[in-house]
Amino acid sequence: MAENNRAEGAGAISAAEASADAFAFLGKGGEIRQLIRDFDWGATPLGRVETWPGSLRTATALLLQSPVPIVMLWGEHGIMIYNDAYSGFAGKRHPQLLGSRVREGWAEIADFNDNVMKVGLSGGTLAYRDQELTLHRRGVPEQVWMNLDYSPVLDETGTPAGVIAIVVETTREVLARQRIDREHERLLQLFAQAPTFMAMLRGENHVFELVNPNYQALIGNRDVIGKPVSEALPELADQGFGDLLDEAYRSGEPVSRWSERLILVRAPETGPEERFVDFVYQPITADSGEVTHIFVQGSDVTERVIAEHRQRLLVNELNHRVKNTLASVQAITSQTLRGAMSLKEASDSINGRILALSRAHNMLTAQNWTGADLNEVLETALATHDDPDRPQLDVTFPPLRLEPHAALSLALALHELAINAAKFGALSRTEGRVQIICETAMVDDREVFRMTWREIGGPPVHAPQRRGFGSHLLERALPAELSGQVRIHHRPDGLVFELAAPLSAIREGGGLG
Amino acid sequence: MLVALLIEDFVLQLGCEIAGMAMRLEPALDLARTIDIDVAILDINLAGKPSLPVAEMLQGRGIPFVFASGYGAAGLDGSGLSAPVLQKPFDVGDVRRLLTAAL
Repeated sequence: MAENNRAEGAGAISAAEASADAFAFLGKGGEIRQLIRDFDWGATPLGRVETWPGSLRTATALLLQSPVPIVMLWGEHGIMIYNDAYSGFAGKRHPQLLGSRVREGWAEIADFNDNVMKVGLSGGTLAYRDQELTLHRRGVPEQVWMNLDYSPVLDETGTPAGVIAIVVETTREVLARQRIDREHERLLQLFAQAPTFMAMLRGENHVFELVNPNYQALIGNRDVIGKPVSEALPELADQGFGDLLDEAYRSGEPVSRWSERLILVRAPETGPEERFVDFVYQPITADSGEVTHIFVQGSDVTERVIAEHRQRLLVNELNHRVKNTLASVQAITSQTLRGAMSLKEASDSINGRILALSRAHNMLTAQNWTGADLNEVLETALATHDDPDRPQLDVTFPPLRLEPHAALSLALALHELAINAAKFGALSRTEGRVQIICETAMVDDREVFRMTWREIGGPPVHAPQRRGFGSHLLERALPAELSGQVRIHHRPDGLVFELAAPLSAIREGGGLG
Repeated sequence: MLVALLIEDFVLQLGCEIAGMAMRLEPALDLARTIDIDVAILDINLAGKPSLPVAEMLQGRGIPFVFASGYGAAGLDGSGLSAPVLQKPFDVGDVRRLLTAAL
């Protein structure tokens, strides 16, 4: 049917009619064809359409058929003839642009087009990709990007008579690309400013593509970009991290570790360094599902791990001290009870001993168990037996700093001596006195600490019939504790207690184990 | 010091004899080197110092021993030594059980 119609139509047009329609070469349809028909070409250097050379007609017909925006710039002035697609691109500049001189029609880019005309009319071509131009298509300046291809159109003599331009606007694509670039830039900034360490590794050999400043800080100032992990950080590959990366790469599953210990050699001169890190190896997959990268992220938690370790030690130490103290209380109670004549007596003795132990602990805790001064030990142990209004104690001592275990033992021993004196000895009478002499001396080239406890003015003394907690502590435990000797004389005029121990066993920082 | 008294008391109750007592590392090492005994009770901590050298000395001489510790068995971590641990506080029954195990 279509063939027949066209055949009939062609047959129906007479030769006279054909010559009468000078615009037949334009073809039919579309806004721009009508505008070209109506335009007063006689007022332009092109002249009336009837006078146009074949080359101009053919080129015009050709561009009008194209769905791609095309403009032709004819003659030295570049008179503009364009298609419907181009009129859409030209915005409000259309239809004034039709038949205008290109340097005037697009006055804002006259210089650009001047160059186009010069090159084109001398037979050259031009091609621009994403060319940025500022156009006034809608009354306001507008930044646009275009792909522009210019080529000359030859006239009947083979001389360039015009320039044909294929104009494809790429503004949308360029803006989209810029947005992606900005996002990428922002991600890189986040990467750089992240509080954690980060690195991006490419491919199955884990080549460093990116590292952030925290990662760089972790590994020292080593240049790793572009190198595989095994080459950039050889010591880590040897510690199993290479295998972990392989595992994440192969499986596509993230691998994470907490408080993982690693030995770093940040620089040859610093030697190996122990660090602890929390980290995750996150495989990155392409659209195909294939792993292409591993994103490494984590934190250096060395300080935290050290603090946790210290805390564990402290808790253990505390537990140890509590258990030791319980065992001490157990020792006091079980032995006091066994030697006791009555419950009342046992209860008083136990209370007194636990309080003496507690006071000694207070004294040592106040100084963080580093030790105590001899005068503090004497005061702590004897305070409850020394009435300033009726002094019964005569104490002399040298300035001496005691090691904590010696201080504790001495305090407990003094408590036992004082309790015994208050019950049976000099402190049981108001006229009784106790002389306590502490001194250091040289004996056979060794420094010795001596303490003498001498009671005067008490009731007649008898050697005790039973040996209870007090005598065990004074005669067995104290000498063992201080690596010394103890002598107790039950003289009729008063008890005398003598202690001699190497100074090194009792002095703070003393050498003896 | 008081704990030593307690152990001494328990050991005597069990019908054993006390051959020696030391509360610091060096005297304890001297004892471990020379003394003729059936079994030793050794605090893991001697006045703030670990008693492991003493344990090694006893082990070297083939003398069985029992540890006493406020840490429990955890106090032995990493020492490579294995011996029964008398955890403080303890009673005479614990001492009998562990001495029996050691012997």
